[in-house]
Amino acid sequence: MKIQGLKKAYHREVVVDDVSFEIPEGKVLSLIGPNGAGKSTVMNIISRLLPLDDGKILFQGKELHQWKRQELAKKLAILTQSNHIAMKLSVWDLVAFGRFPYSGNHLTVEDTKMIQQAIDYMELGDLAHKFIDELSGGQRQRAYIAMVIAQDTDYVLLDEPTNNLDIYHATNMMKMVRRLCDELNKTVVLVLHDINYAAFYSDYICAFVDGKIAKFGTVEEVMNKKTLSDIYHVEFEIMNVANKPLSVYY
Amino acid sequence: MTSLLLLVSCISVSIGVLDVNLSAMASGNLDQIEILLVSRLPRLLAVLCTGAGMSVAGLIMQQLCRNKFVSPTTSATISSAQLGLLLAILVFPQATLKEKTFFAFTMSIAGTYVFVLFMQRLKCKDIIMVPLVGIMFGNALGGITSFLAYKYNLMQAMNSFLVGDFSLVLKGNYEIVFLILPLLVIAFSFANHFNIVGLGEDFAKNLGVPYTVVLFGGLSIAALITASVVVTIGTIPYLGLVVPNLITILKGDKLKNSLIDTALFGALFVLICDIVGRLVIFPYEIPVNLIVGVIGSVVFLGIIFWKLSSHVPSVHTRSAQTTTKGGCGCDQ
Amino acid sequence: MTSKKNVYFKKLLFLVVLACCAAALYQFTDVDINFFSFAMRIRGPRLAAMFLASFCVGVASILFQTIINNVIVTPCLLGMNALYVLIHTSVVFLIGSGSKLSVNSPISFVVDLLSMAVVAVLIYGYLFQKAGGNILYILLVGSVLTTLFSSISTTMQRMMDPNEFDQLQNSLIASFERVNADAIWIAVMAILILVVWLWRQFPLLDVLVLGKHQAINLGVDYEKVSRKMLVGVTILIGIATALVGPISFLGLIIANLSRQLFKTYQHRYLTFGAALVGMVILFAGQTLVEQVFHFGANINAFINIGGGAYFLYLLLRGEKQ
Repeated sequence: MKIQGLKKAYHREVVVDDVSFEIPEGKVLSLIGPNGAGKSTVMNIISRLLPLDDGKILFQGKELHQWKRQELAKKLAILTQSNHIAMKLSVWDLVAFGRFPYSGNHLTVEDTKMIQQAIDYMELGDLAHKFIDELSGGQRQRAYIAMVIAQDTDYVLLDEPTNNLDIYHATNMMKMVRRLCDELNKTVVLVLHDINYAAFYSDYICAFVDGKIAKFGTVEEVMNKKTLSDIYHVEFEIMNVANKPLSVYY
Repeated sequence: MTSLLLLVSCISVSIGVLDVNLSAMASGNLDQIEILLVSRLPRLLAVLCTGAGMSVAGLIMQQLCRNKFVSPTTSATISSAQLGLLLAILVFPQATLKEKTFFAFTMSIAGTYVFVLFMQRLKCKDIIMVPLVGIMFGNALGGITSFLAYKYNLMQAMNSFLVGDFSLVLKGNYEIVFLILPLLVIAFSFANHFNIVGLGEDFAKNLGVPYTVVLFGGLSIAALITASVVVTIGTIPYLGLVVPNLITILKGDKLKNSLIDTALFGALFVLICDIVGRLVIFPYEIPVNLIVGVIGSVVFLGIIFWKLSSHVPSVHTRSAQTTTKGGCGCDQ
Repeated sequence: MTSKKNVYFKKLLFLVVLACCAAALYQFTDVDINFFSFAMRIRGPRLAAMFLASFCVGVASILFQTIINNVIVTPCLLGMNALYVLIHTSVVFLIGSGSKLSVNSPISFVVDLLSMAVVAVLIYGYLFQKAGGNILYILLVGSVLTTLFSSISTTMQRMMDPNEFDQLQNSLIASFERVNADAIWIAVMAILILVVWLWRQFPLLDVLVLGKHQAINLGVDYEKVSRKMLVGVTILIGIATALVGPISFLGLIIANLSRQLFKTYQHRYLTFGAALVGMVILFAGQTLVEQVFHFGANINAFINIGGGAYFLYLLLRGEKQ
């Protein structure tokens, strides 16, 4: 996916200004940056939740808005934080929705198999018939990931997936992201607040400041003292833990 | 604003089927003085109290509920006062003003409490969802009221408190409306408390303000003001919604600053609407209800679209960020 | 999964049987055999009207709750009741209660239907696009108009001749006793057109349960679907209101009962369930009104008091944590 000259403004207030980058295939890319830097807006635009003012998004050689919605839903999955469900819906039902772009409301044998696989993959077997509103935050997040797996897309876009999760669940979430990429060969893009999660679990990092890209590169390229201090305006130290550059800030 | 209000008040007093003028009164024309005392002056006072009272009631409710779209109309206060009135007429067929007032007071407070209790439990405190639920609640109560009225043949009687109208205000039948004055004084002296409670339960506790007491105290004041208007004048839509919103757009949310302005502007607004209603088809009158309804609708639609065009985008970005801290109630 | 499906079908079947029983009860209780065909001609249209009204209200309420993503709202927020009252009040006020428009004729039915459809398309179709698909704001606009409509009509009612007011009152209270047979055929046509128009959106409804973002993720044109649905819901409620008067509070009861009964998100069961529950309630209620109370009470009473109390119960129970 190529993003070219992306622009978005709300009433003359420019939030995303001339952003261009290319999402590396089959890798994990994290979007980081301070509050209001535009990373979530960029995410919402490439996941077609927000219209863009200017620029182009090329997805597999075709502009994003020229894709048929249903076809796009087979290639690109998005998961945001606003998942309030007022109805009674079991985990199995939720995961089954992942097959909607393929077969609508009528599941084939193939679909059922995919759904079961996704549930097993996320170790949700015991919870499959529980209702979504009876689950804990971590379990619910896993159920949604299972749905995304059942959707069987090349790309997965996650908006702050570790949000509202404790250290245990957040870390497991990030391990899951890694597995989506390594085992299932998906391209994963996520918005993260915790730069150390970004550093430890992703391949590339794109850092935003004031609606522009401050730095795009591999983890090693972005995770250095100077770049991070420039982005966040606080002091940084970089440490090497398990062969990954982690940061301490103060 | 005060001087403008005084000027318009004088105009208001001078309008009517019978001519009233100062020189005649000064020369000791007793008829003229009587018209003034029995009809014109009470009307003016009723208009001023209603306008100021309803606007302040709306302002207090918006502060306490932290929602710009909450008001006596959208939180079932008016509907419950109407139900109370009807019940009073049913229980005591010869109900005096005192009994009616008592019933309307009780019901309006009860209705508002139920609504706010529910609102506090609402998982998804969307700024629009809350008033929508309030409107539904009001509809439910209104349905019961109109059914009872139909059943017991009280439709026309009910109409008198559904339509806000100052033309029947005469000396001796409107004085309940003055209850608004002490209520306004209380509201003003507790303005800071309301402000603090409006900032949230934790915030209030931190500053040592008894949250529940102030919350329900404030709501009771608003409900009582509303009920006194419904009993004497009838229902006037939108006042509590439009006036405070216009003032806070100009003056900000500090209650001590905006309270007096809201009261003055509300009084002025109703006074002008009343004069318009009396002049359009002179010597007949259009009930103030209709004038306020029309003007209020237009202004309110204006506010909605203004908010839509200027605030929705920032709501978008903001919600994207508040989710980070788990702030937006809808997401859990 | 199939076992679950079977359970749903059994429940639906149970409701169908129950509705049929109630219908038969209504149609054949206490019929004088000598006047059999006369009684049928009187009761037939009423039965049909109740059937159509519960279908419209049931389907519309379930759809509406799904679009709003909240199970305690009813389409009475759409303001069709107030519009109905306004239309009828102004007809009586401007033309008089004797005119062709104000007596219960197919023409007045068509007038009701057309004006409601115009409002539906204008507010809920056009403004929806303008407001960038923010449904709640549009509902707020709807409620503003409701207040405007009702302040105009209460004012007119107040200035009206008391005799005319009495006439008007009768048409403002929901009832099945004054149903016009021609109106039923028009209503059936309108419903069929609507169903055809919305046909392709129905399968997408289940996905809307997941909320806007997930619906978009699964390839649904969220704005278009919800806009079309909202217009459809408004017109459905319009049809029901024009047919029998303001009864949309019925929707709250039957939609929630259907949800409790089926405990599913799947709309093919929920909508039919709600419609059937509505039929059972209306048929049985009207039988009670006619046979036990001898028309002394109005079905509207049950709906209003029952609906009001039920709503209060839902409010106090709150959303389950």
